[in-house]
Amino acid sequence: MKARRVKRLDPDVSLEENAARIVSVRLAEMRSFAPAALDPANSVAQHDMRIAAKRLRYILEATGFCFGKPAQTAARRARDLQGLLGEMHDCDVMLPAIDTHIADLRVEDAGALREKAGDARALDPALAARARHRTAYRGLEVLTVYVQARRGLLFDRFLAFWRAQEGAGTWDRLDRAVAGRLHEIKERRRAEQRIENARRELEEAERKARRAAAELAAAADYPITDRTSGTYPDR
Amino acid sequence: MAKARPIPGLSADDPYTRAATKIVGVRVGELVAHASGVLDVGDIERVHDMRVATRRLRAALEIFGPCFPQQDLKAALRRVKELADALGERRDRDVSIAALETIRASMAAPDRPGIDSLIVRLRAEQSAANEALARFLAEDKLATLCDQLSELVAGAIVPIDEVTELPRIHIAGEAA
Repeated sequence: MKARRVKRLDPDVSLEENAARIVSVRLAEMRSFAPAALDPANSVAQHDMRIAAKRLRYILEATGFCFGKPAQTAARRARDLQGLLGEMHDCDVMLPAIDTHIADLRVEDAGALREKAGDARALDPALAARARHRTAYRGLEVLTVYVQARRGLLFDRFLAFWRAQEGAGTWDRLDRAVAGRLHEIKERRRAEQRIENARRELEEAERKARRAAAELAAAADYPITDRTSGTYPDR
Repeated sequence: MAKARPIPGLSADDPYTRAATKIVGVRVGELVAHASGVLDVGDIERVHDMRVATRRLRAALEIFGPCFPQQDLKAALRRVKELADALGERRDRDVSIAALETIRASMAAPDRPGIDSLIVRLRAEQSAANEALARFLAEDKLATLCDQLSELVAGAIVPIDEVTELPRIHIAGEAA
């Protein structure tokens, strides 16, 4: 799954500001898989949510300190979620691997039986009873049952975990912390801009005042005062 | 699983590029520190720790992508991904074998041959994955990767007033 692009990253601004933008996107990305991933049959959405949780976890590991306790809690929960979904994914990988293995054993046994039959008109069932892998099938079927049941159990745990985090507001708190930080940064920047504007206005006003004073002095044909000393030059 | 190392001197107010060099530098150090003993299939946590280190490093490179020369970044990411994939192939087999051995221990004796046959198959795949991984962990390969990452960090796009304050990572000695 390709990560969503984070817009407006700027190497010239602070870590905090860029991290807030990344965390915000990664969190939304992870949560966007929730409706689909809560369907037990949708292993693709569960896999995508695991990757998204991993991405969120790693950005929080590096930059979570910028966003306080909500980020620390969310990092732990993202790790737990990643672990749970990872175990489900292991089952999803294991089940087809068992099927492939059974199919391979079956092909091998059937081929060997066919060879032993030679030119016979009918296949002797006794040959199957001596098939090389005859004792393996039972255990592999039991294993399939076990892995399938385990996947179901893990899914129920995942569902309960996800609902618990939504109920506890784990992701909402992180979202608010990040949005709050971005808002503060924006306000700070606005305040800095206002100060800069005020400074420019003051400079402009002083320039105008000096120009007006010079014009006044020229008009009166009278030397301008030395403003710093307050003295007048000799006439 | 190895915990992420703290980043010394990292501050929320750090300019993005300075934070990038600090974090990527530490993550490269983690990768190198976890490289020893990875090919030992008797201790599967080592490969896991190194794999997690590659994930953290990839995450850092992606997060701080705008701070680095794009061509060098792409090349470095590709190399780290290749290593991560090789570690992943080994790790997948390690996890499956460990799980099957646990399940086997609880199974009735008549059910065990089937599981044993699957473990044998996975052991062969694990061995092949280990051979492929060994090529990435050869000292010269690892040193080349570290040099590439070191150059990437050194080439970070920094504002002029930041140049003198940039930290530098020194990896060559650690890789030995």
